[in-house]
Amino acid sequence: MSASQRRPSVEIFSMLFGIVYLTCFYMDWAPFRYYPDARTFHLKITPQDGPAILWYGWVSAAAVVSAAVALLVPRQLAVRLQPAWAWAVPLIIVVLMFVYERRWFM
Amino acid sequence: MIVALLIVHGLLAVTLLGAITHQAWSVVPRGTAAGSLSFVDRFRSVDSGAYATAIVVLFAVTAIGGGLLYPQYRLDVRTALEDMQMRAANGVFEIKEHLAAIGLGLLPTYWLFWRAPLVPEQAAARRYLTWLLAFVVWWSFLVGHVLNNIKGLLP
Repeated sequence: MSASQRRPSVEIFSMLFGIVYLTCFYMDWAPFRYYPDARTFHLKITPQDGPAILWYGWVSAAAVVSAAVALLVPRQLAVRLQPAWAWAVPLIIVVLMFVYERRWFM
Repeated sequence: MIVALLIVHGLLAVTLLGAITHQAWSVVPRGTAAGSLSFVDRFRSVDSGAYATAIVVLFAVTAIGGGLLYPQYRLDVRTALEDMQMRAANGVFEIKEHLAAIGLGLLPTYWLFWRAPLVPEQAAARRYLTWLLAFVVWWSFLVGHVLNNIKGLLP
Protein backbone atom coordinates (compact mmCIF):
# COMPACT_ATOMS: atom_id res chain seq x y z
CA MET A 1 0.00 0.00 0.00
CA SER A 2 1.58 3.28 -1.05
CA ALA A 3 1.44 6.42 1.07
CA SER A 4 -1.39 7.77 -1.05
CA GLN A 5 -3.40 4.56 -0.58
CA ARG A 6 -3.00 4.49 3.21
CA ARG A 7 -5.90 5.56 5.39
CA PRO A 8 -4.10 6.70 8.55
CA SER A 9 -7.29 8.28 9.90
CA VAL A 10 -8.78 4.77 10.12
CA GLU A 11 -5.79 3.58 12.13
CA ILE A 12 -6.12 6.60 14.43
CA PHE A 13 -9.80 5.80 14.89
CA SER A 14 -9.02 2.24 16.00
CA MET A 15 -6.23 3.39 18.33
CA LEU A 16 -8.37 6.05 19.97
CA PHE A 17 -11.48 3.92 20.21
CA GLY A 18 -10.06 1.69 22.91
CA ILE A 19 -8.51 4.61 24.77
CA VAL A 20 -11.74 6.62 24.85
CA TYR A 21 -13.78 3.53 25.72
CA LEU A 22 -11.52 2.57 28.61
CA THR A 23 -11.37 6.16 29.87
CA CYS A 24 -15.18 6.43 29.89
CA PHE A 25 -15.39 3.11 31.70
CA TYR A 26 -12.72 4.02 34.24
CA MET A 27 -14.32 7.42 34.91
CA ASP A 28 -17.75 5.76 35.08
CA TRP A 29 -19.00 8.32 32.57
CA ALA A 30 -21.42 7.68 29.73
CA PRO A 31 -23.26 10.22 27.57
CA PHE A 32 -26.44 8.26 28.23
CA ARG A 33 -27.59 5.24 30.20
CA TYR A 34 -30.13 2.55 29.39
CA TYR A 35 -32.44 1.28 32.12
CA PRO A 36 -33.61 -2.18 31.04
CA ASP A 37 -36.22 -2.50 33.81
CA ALA A 38 -37.98 0.67 32.69
CA ARG A 39 -36.85 0.25 29.05
CA THR A 40 -35.83 3.89 28.88
CA PHE A 41 -32.74 5.90 28.01
CA HIS A 42 -31.66 8.75 30.28
CA LEU A 43 -28.96 11.37 30.04
CA LYS A 44 -28.80 11.59 33.82
CA ILE A 45 -28.46 8.97 36.53
CA THR A 46 -31.95 7.74 37.37
CA PRO A 47 -31.64 5.17 40.19
CA GLN A 48 -35.40 4.83 40.62
CA ASP A 49 -35.51 3.14 37.18
CA GLY A 50 -33.39 0.20 38.38
CA PRO A 51 -29.97 -0.99 37.24
CA ALA A 52 -28.37 0.95 34.41
CA ILE A 53 -26.41 -0.19 31.36
CA LEU A 54 -23.57 2.18 30.49
CA TRP A 55 -21.97 0.01 27.78
CA TYR A 56 -24.02 1.48 24.92
CA GLY A 57 -22.97 4.95 26.03
CA TRP A 58 -19.29 4.01 26.31
CA VAL A 59 -19.26 2.47 22.82
CA SER A 60 -21.13 5.45 21.33
CA ALA A 61 -18.79 7.94 23.00
CA ALA A 62 -15.74 6.02 21.81
CA ALA A 63 -17.07 5.89 18.23
CA VAL A 64 -18.01 9.58 18.05
CA VAL A 65 -14.91 11.00 19.76
CA SER A 66 -12.50 8.73 17.88
CA ALA A 67 -14.10 9.49 14.51
CA ALA A 68 -14.02 13.24 15.20
CA VAL A 69 -10.37 13.25 16.26
CA ALA A 70 -9.35 10.91 13.40
CA LEU A 71 -10.89 13.32 10.90
CA LEU A 72 -9.29 16.36 12.53
CA VAL A 73 -5.70 15.06 12.63
CA PRO A 74 -3.83 16.49 9.60
CA ARG A 75 -2.90 13.82 7.07
CA GLN A 76 0.77 14.93 7.03
CA LEU A 77 0.92 14.14 10.74
CA ALA A 78 -1.14 10.96 10.54
CA VAL A 79 0.95 9.29 7.82
CA ARG A 80 3.96 9.36 10.15
CA LEU A 81 2.31 6.65 12.24
CA GLN A 82 3.92 3.27 11.82
CA PRO A 83 1.56 0.34 11.13
CA ALA A 84 2.76 -1.24 14.40
CA TRP A 85 0.85 1.40 16.38
CA ALA A 86 -2.39 0.03 14.97
CA TRP A 87 -2.06 -3.20 16.96
CA ALA A 88 0.29 -2.11 19.77
CA VAL A 89 -2.03 0.56 21.20
CA PRO A 90 -5.12 -1.73 21.33
CA LEU A 91 -2.94 -4.46 22.87
CA ILE A 92 -1.81 -2.07 25.62
CA ILE A 93 -5.46 -1.10 26.19
CA VAL A 94 -6.39 -4.77 26.56
CA VAL A 95 -3.55 -5.34 29.05
CA LEU A 96 -4.55 -2.27 31.10
CA MET A 97 -8.14 -3.42 31.11
CA PHE A 98 -7.11 -6.86 32.43
CA VAL A 99 -4.96 -5.24 35.12
CA TYR A 100 -7.90 -3.12 36.28
CA GLU A 101 -10.40 -5.96 36.12
CA ARG A 102 -8.31 -8.14 38.44
CA ARG A 103 -10.54 -6.66 41.14
CA TRP A 104 -13.20 -9.28 40.31
CA PHE A 105 -10.88 -12.16 41.16
CA MET A 106 -9.38 -10.96 44.45
CA MET B 1 -38.00 -14.13 21.10
CA ILE B 2 -35.02 -13.75 23.42
CA VAL B 3 -34.27 -17.50 23.18
CA ALA B 4 -34.34 -17.34 19.37
CA LEU B 5 -32.01 -14.35 19.44
CA LEU B 6 -29.67 -16.15 21.84
CA ILE B 7 -29.51 -19.20 19.54
CA VAL B 8 -28.85 -17.04 16.46
CA HIS B 9 -26.18 -15.13 18.44
CA GLY B 10 -24.56 -18.45 19.38
CA LEU B 11 -24.64 -19.79 15.81
CA LEU B 12 -23.11 -16.59 14.43
CA ALA B 13 -20.44 -16.81 17.12
CA VAL B 14 -19.58 -20.37 16.04
CA THR B 15 -19.22 -19.23 12.42
CA LEU B 16 -17.08 -16.28 13.47
CA LEU B 17 -14.95 -18.50 15.67
CA GLY B 18 -14.27 -20.87 12.78
CA ALA B 19 -13.39 -18.08 10.37
CA ILE B 20 -11.08 -16.17 12.72
CA THR B 21 -9.37 -19.36 13.91
CA HIS B 22 -8.62 -20.41 10.32
CA GLN B 23 -7.25 -16.95 9.58
CA ALA B 24 -5.27 -16.69 12.84
CA TRP B 25 -3.58 -20.05 12.14
CA SER B 26 -2.92 -19.13 8.54
CA VAL B 27 -0.76 -16.15 9.56
CA VAL B 28 1.44 -18.15 11.94
CA PRO B 29 4.93 -18.11 10.43
CA ARG B 30 5.82 -21.55 9.16
CA GLY B 31 8.99 -23.29 8.16
CA THR B 32 9.41 -25.07 4.88
CA ALA B 33 8.18 -28.56 5.63
CA ALA B 34 8.71 -31.42 3.26
CA GLY B 35 6.41 -34.39 2.89
CA SER B 36 2.68 -34.72 3.23
CA LEU B 37 0.53 -32.05 4.86
CA SER B 38 -0.68 -32.66 8.42
CA PHE B 39 -4.19 -31.80 9.61
CA VAL B 40 -2.89 -28.54 11.09
CA ASP B 41 -1.10 -27.70 7.84
CA ARG B 42 -4.31 -28.22 5.91
CA PHE B 43 -6.29 -26.25 8.53
CA ARG B 44 -4.13 -23.20 8.01
CA SER B 45 -3.61 -23.56 4.26
CA VAL B 46 -6.43 -21.18 3.49
CA ASP B 47 -6.74 -17.98 1.51
CA SER B 48 -6.38 -15.72 4.59
CA GLY B 49 -7.52 -12.55 2.91
CA ALA B 50 -10.77 -14.11 1.76
CA TYR B 51 -11.96 -14.33 5.39
CA ALA B 52 -11.52 -10.67 6.32
CA THR B 53 -14.79 -9.17 5.10
CA ALA B 54 -16.80 -12.12 6.41
CA ILE B 55 -15.10 -11.75 9.81
CA VAL B 56 -15.87 -8.02 9.96
CA VAL B 57 -19.53 -8.59 9.10
CA LEU B 58 -19.89 -11.57 11.47
CA PHE B 59 -18.17 -9.72 14.32
CA ALA B 60 -20.36 -6.65 13.87
CA VAL B 61 -23.61 -8.62 13.59
CA THR B 62 -22.71 -10.90 16.52
CA ALA B 63 -21.80 -7.88 18.66
CA ILE B 64 -25.10 -6.18 17.79
CA GLY B 65 -26.91 -9.39 18.75
CA GLY B 66 -25.01 -9.43 22.03
CA GLY B 67 -25.96 -5.81 22.59
CA LEU B 68 -29.63 -6.67 22.09
CA LEU B 69 -29.37 -9.58 24.54
CA TYR B 70 -27.53 -7.53 27.12
CA PRO B 71 -30.56 -5.97 28.90
CA GLN B 72 -31.96 -9.43 29.64
CA TYR B 73 -28.54 -10.52 30.93
CA ARG B 74 -28.29 -7.41 33.10
CA LEU B 75 -31.68 -8.02 34.69
CA ASP B 76 -31.72 -11.80 35.07
CA VAL B 77 -28.27 -13.36 34.85
CA ARG B 78 -26.10 -10.70 36.45
CA THR B 79 -28.52 -10.27 39.33
CA ALA B 80 -28.53 -14.05 39.89
CA LEU B 81 -24.73 -14.17 39.80
CA GLU B 82 -24.58 -11.35 42.35
CA ASP B 83 -27.06 -13.17 44.57
CA MET B 84 -24.89 -16.30 44.37
CA GLN B 85 -21.81 -14.14 45.09
CA MET B 86 -20.11 -15.35 41.91
CA ARG B 87 -17.81 -12.38 41.46
CA ALA B 88 -15.45 -14.13 39.05
CA ALA B 89 -18.32 -15.01 36.73
CA ASN B 90 -19.42 -11.36 36.67
CA GLY B 91 -15.82 -10.35 36.12
CA VAL B 92 -15.21 -12.55 33.09
CA PHE B 93 -18.41 -11.22 31.53
CA GLU B 94 -17.40 -7.63 32.20
CA ILE B 95 -14.09 -8.38 30.45
CA LYS B 96 -16.08 -9.84 27.56
CA GLU B 97 -18.01 -6.57 27.26
CA HIS B 98 -14.79 -4.57 27.11
CA LEU B 99 -13.12 -6.93 24.64
CA ALA B 100 -16.15 -6.83 22.35
CA ALA B 101 -16.08 -3.03 22.38
CA ILE B 102 -12.33 -2.86 21.72
CA GLY B 103 -12.81 -5.43 18.94
CA LEU B 104 -15.50 -3.29 17.32
CA GLY B 105 -13.08 -0.39 17.28
CA LEU B 106 -10.40 -2.56 15.68
CA LEU B 107 -12.56 -3.73 12.77
CA PRO B 108 -11.98 -0.79 10.37
CA THR B 109 -8.18 -1.04 10.68
CA TYR B 110 -8.23 -4.83 10.55
CA TRP B 111 -10.30 -4.71 7.35
CA LEU B 112 -8.06 -2.03 5.86
CA PHE B 113 -4.91 -4.06 6.47
CA TRP B 114 -6.46 -7.14 4.90
CA ARG B 115 -7.64 -5.26 1.82
CA ALA B 116 -6.12 -6.53 -1.43
CA PRO B 117 -3.45 -6.16 -2.61
CA LEU B 118 -1.81 -7.26 0.65
CA VAL B 119 1.28 -5.22 1.45
CA PRO B 120 4.24 -7.33 2.66
CA GLU B 121 5.46 -4.48 4.92
CA GLN B 122 2.19 -4.70 6.85
CA ALA B 123 2.32 -8.46 7.34
CA ALA B 124 3.30 -8.16 11.01
CA ALA B 125 0.57 -5.61 11.79
CA ARG B 126 -1.96 -7.77 9.95
CA ARG B 127 -0.86 -10.84 11.91
CA TYR B 128 -1.04 -9.18 15.35
CA LEU B 129 -4.38 -7.52 14.61
CA THR B 130 -5.75 -10.91 13.57
CA TRP B 131 -4.43 -12.60 16.72
CA LEU B 132 -5.83 -9.83 18.90
CA LEU B 133 -9.23 -10.17 17.27
CA ALA B 134 -9.01 -13.98 17.57
CA PHE B 135 -8.34 -13.62 21.31
CA VAL B 136 -11.38 -11.33 21.64
CA VAL B 137 -13.58 -13.82 19.78
CA TRP B 138 -12.35 -16.86 21.74
CA TRP B 139 -12.76 -15.12 25.10
CA SER B 140 -16.24 -13.89 24.21
CA PHE B 141 -17.29 -17.29 22.90
CA LEU B 142 -16.08 -19.28 25.89
CA VAL B 143 -17.40 -16.84 28.49
CA GLY B 144 -20.75 -16.57 26.73
CA HIS B 145 -21.20 -20.32 26.65
CA VAL B 146 -20.00 -20.96 30.20
CA LEU B 147 -22.28 -18.27 31.63
CA ASN B 148 -25.19 -19.47 29.54
CA ASN B 149 -24.82 -22.91 31.09
CA ILE B 150 -23.44 -21.93 34.48
CA LYS B 151 -26.33 -23.29 36.53
CA GLY B 152 -25.77 -26.72 34.99
CA LEU B 153 -22.00 -26.56 35.19
CA LEU B 154 -21.70 -25.76 38.89
CA PRO B 155 -23.00 -27.82 41.79
